Amino acid sequence: MMPNSESVLSLQGVTLTANLGGQSVSALRDLNFSLARGRVLGVVGESGAGKSMLARLISGLLPPGFDVTSGAMRFVGRDLLAIPTRQRRELLGRQIAFIPQEPLTALNPLWTIADTFNEHLTRLGVPSSQRLDTALRFLESVQLATPAQMLRRYPHQLSGGQCQRVLIAMAFASEPALLIADEPTTALDVVTQTRVMSMLAEQQRQHATAVVLITHDLRLAAHVCDDVAVMYAGDLVEYGPARDVLDTPRHPYTRALKYATPDLTGPRRRLPVLKQQMPGLSALADLPGCRFAPRCPSADAACSHALQHRVAPNGHRVSCSAACEHGADTAELQAALPPPTPVDDASPVAELREASLTYYTRSGLFGQHKTGFDAVKPFSLKVYPGEFVGIVGESGSGKTSVARLLMGIEQPTEGRVLIAGADVTHGTPKQVRRAREQVQIIFQDPQSALNPRRSVERLLTQALEAAGLPAVDAAERRKRALALQSDVGLPADCLTRFPTQLSGGQKQRVNIGRALCAAPALIVADEIVSGLDVSVQAQILNLLLELGREHQIALLLISHDLSVVRYLCSRVLVMRRGEVVEQGPTEEVFSNPKHPYTRTLIEAVPSDDARIAWPPVAAGEARAA
Amino acid sequence: MVDKSSSLPASLPTLSSAATGAAGALARPAPKRGRRLRSLNLWLGAAIVLGVALCAIFAPWLAPHDPLDQDLLHMLSPPAWMAGGDIAFPLGTDSLGRDVLSRLLYGSRIALTVAVVAALGAGVFGSLLAIVAGYFGGWVDRAISYLVDLWMSFPPVVLSLVLMVSLGVGIENVILSIVLVDWTRFCRVVRAEVMVVRQRDYVLAAQLMNFSHLRIMLREILPAALPLMITLFSLEMGVAITVEALLSFIGLSVPANVTAWGVMIADARISMHESMSGLLFPVLAIVITVLGCNLLGDGLRVALDPRMRTKGN
Repeated sequence: MMPNSESVLSLQGVTLTANLGGQSVSALRDLNFSLARGRVLGVVGESGAGKSMLARLISGLLPPGFDVTSGAMRFVGRDLLAIPTRQRRELLGRQIAFIPQEPLTALNPLWTIADTFNEHLTRLGVPSSQRLDTALRFLESVQLATPAQMLRRYPHQLSGGQCQRVLIAMAFASEPALLIADEPTTALDVVTQTRVMSMLAEQQRQHATAVVLITHDLRLAAHVCDDVAVMYAGDLVEYGPARDVLDTPRHPYTRALKYATPDLTGPRRRLPVLKQQMPGLSALADLPGCRFAPRCPSADAACSHALQHRVAPNGHRVSCSAACEHGADTAELQAALPPPTPVDDASPVAELREASLTYYTRSGLFGQHKTGFDAVKPFSLKVYPGEFVGIVGESGSGKTSVARLLMGIEQPTEGRVLIAGADVTHGTPKQVRRAREQVQIIFQDPQSALNPRRSVERLLTQALEAAGLPAVDAAERRKRALALQSDVGLPADCLTRFPTQLSGGQKQRVNIGRALCAAPALIVADEIVSGLDVSVQAQILNLLLELGREHQIALLLISHDLSVVRYLCSRVLVMRRGEVVEQGPTEEVFSNPKHPYTRTLIEAVPSDDARIAWPPVAAGEARAA
Repeated sequence: MVDKSSSLPASLPTLSSAATGAAGALARPAPKRGRRLRSLNLWLGAAIVLGVALCAIFAPWLAPHDPLDQDLLHMLSPPAWMAGGDIAFPLGTDSLGRDVLSRLLYGSRIALTVAVVAALGAGVFGSLLAIVAGYFGGWVDRAISYLVDLWMSFPPVVLSLVLMVSLGVGIENVILSIVLVDWTRFCRVVRAEVMVVRQRDYVLAAQLMNFSHLRIMLREILPAALPLMITLFSLEMGVAITVEALLSFIGLSVPANVTAWGVMIADARISMHESMSGLLFPVLAIVITVLGCNLLGDGLRVALDPRMRTKGN
């Protein structure tokens, strides 16, 4: 990569002001950075940090009520703010290309890839005789195996990774000066993410494109970007060379972000937790100084009034008062976590005995052709009291089906499911019901899992209403709700609130509290932190560890995130295509993987150490079947 | 690569929610002008329906004459403000010298009774089947949907005519025939809504907590479908008023000694060349009332939709 001094995009003191019903708030405050040709800038932050707003600002697609009130923004020598809207829109797709987050919804489902490509190339002014060749050339360049066939397909016939590669090919087809990639791999599997990222990096190198990569993953940014900008509540809190930022983060928020993600290697440490949450747009008006100050572990009185910018010789810039930088929080960030205590073989709380699950689909006009799909091949699993077991694998590997079997949502095609020693596949309804109360689930999407018309109190104690339990009076219910509320760490005043009035992390806490209400022996947690920001994820993970210790509950954690599994679980199963390919104690499996698939999964995770090259070279050559 | 659509239900991780939250946290609520217009609809519709309801309730006190009193000295007199009008008959009289205003006021009683009771009946019956079909799915859903399809294949006017002829005249039979014709409207629309709610994890959560089916239907699903049902109810009121007017126009609705708007139109039809007022006012009454119901329904649809409600923090 040749660093070039020619600046593609530069922002100088740009402030974006939002007008909220008469009140003006700076949604983005005093942004300064410049991006040279062929360089990659990572914009990192949690949801609400203003990353997507930055992308909209650059592309000129601001929502109504948002205006740039000060600063200058230049794009290849032109003043972006002075260009009329029409001309700015002309830049989109030609000079400024965009890779969206959801590849499947970004393509028109009624158009074939050829149609989509054709329209794009027509707009770019490619003569019709050359369009097919151009499309094929660019599809080939992103290593889609059979470009000619790919062109005839519709988006739904492609996987997410393939769709994203089509979009990357389209983005580079216009030879843009600037590419904005908004969380391009967030919706994809880890293994696919690796492939797509290496593809993106390769194309970027070939075309020497300047890229703004928006991501919530600091490690990923540190590996694929030249520079990293960390954003918090509309402020650019830290900016500098990518490795420098990851290795020696100077802003307390960057440190928190770095340490809030569990590691895949090295000593186990307790995740530090930031108090509260990022302020919303309307709360920003009350924070004239450092917007991170209310959550900062080392903030003093001066922080809430003033914000200082300091620059190190190598360009590493931080917006923070002097007090924050001492790193007084480092000791807390490095607190060791004892390894999970192994569980002695008592009788298991739940057991799958050679259980399998086959989905049958009927095709043909009268459904005469019956085809089976083995979601779970014969599978055995024992979970002991108080044990945390993890199941990892890509989406479609059958890990959720295992959960569905345990929960009794699906009946096994073959084999048996035992809960607390009772066979729930062949028991009487009453036995089954009693056994089922021992297993509770925490859902993946807390939004959908909570009835929006129930108050938090009634949600937490929902299990008390279940058939078969004696009715409880209001006072008893309130008492139980209060106990659960303090168990899961919800604020005291939230019992009368409704789910729409809670933050994502709080909703997930309600979700956990509801599962605890029935005093289960086993909790099944299906991807429960994948929708949460890392700092909220850290809170939830610590909560689960605490609950496991206090209540001796077993947990079956289903996740695609290996580091989360390592943080919580003492035992892990690696699943692929409905089969367990490897299992054993977590540390052993992750430090010394036997199966090549496990190795692939581990390599797909960007390392904590910025010196280890990622994405791995081999992954770039692998082609999706 | 495995085609995701054929793989497992609910197995795709939804990391996207984190990032859409980003846009949501910083994006402003949608422009408000459209919303204000909708809320105007709501209030205008509510005012019209309330006005008609007050007329119906207080008809005996408001009406200057008995609606059936014939005054053969004042046949076909024009409204009071026109030449030859009589202040005693503000909206004029019909061909038998009956006061048009009084007849309109009494007619609103029939119209509203039919509207409310028939819409309620169709709503309860249709929604009940819809919830059962949407909740249980499978063969129950297929059976109910098939019945709805079959039912809807009859031309609705013919169906209500056949019903009225076999049931005989009378307001309760009008109501019954509207319920029997129009429950399918509710059933179709509410079923679709129930099927969406059914997919929510909180319904699965309630099932896993061992709640009875009835309890889940009443406590988890009904509240979610209720706003839609209220909206449909309001729209159905308008439909019921039109159908009742149609049936009374052809003399199949109420007995001859009862005043209804459709009857008034039918009576005025004979003398429409001499005087338009007898025809004009009942038509106007129907149009305004039905419009009121529709505006109210449209306004309620927006007001009761939680997605259009601003997020309370």
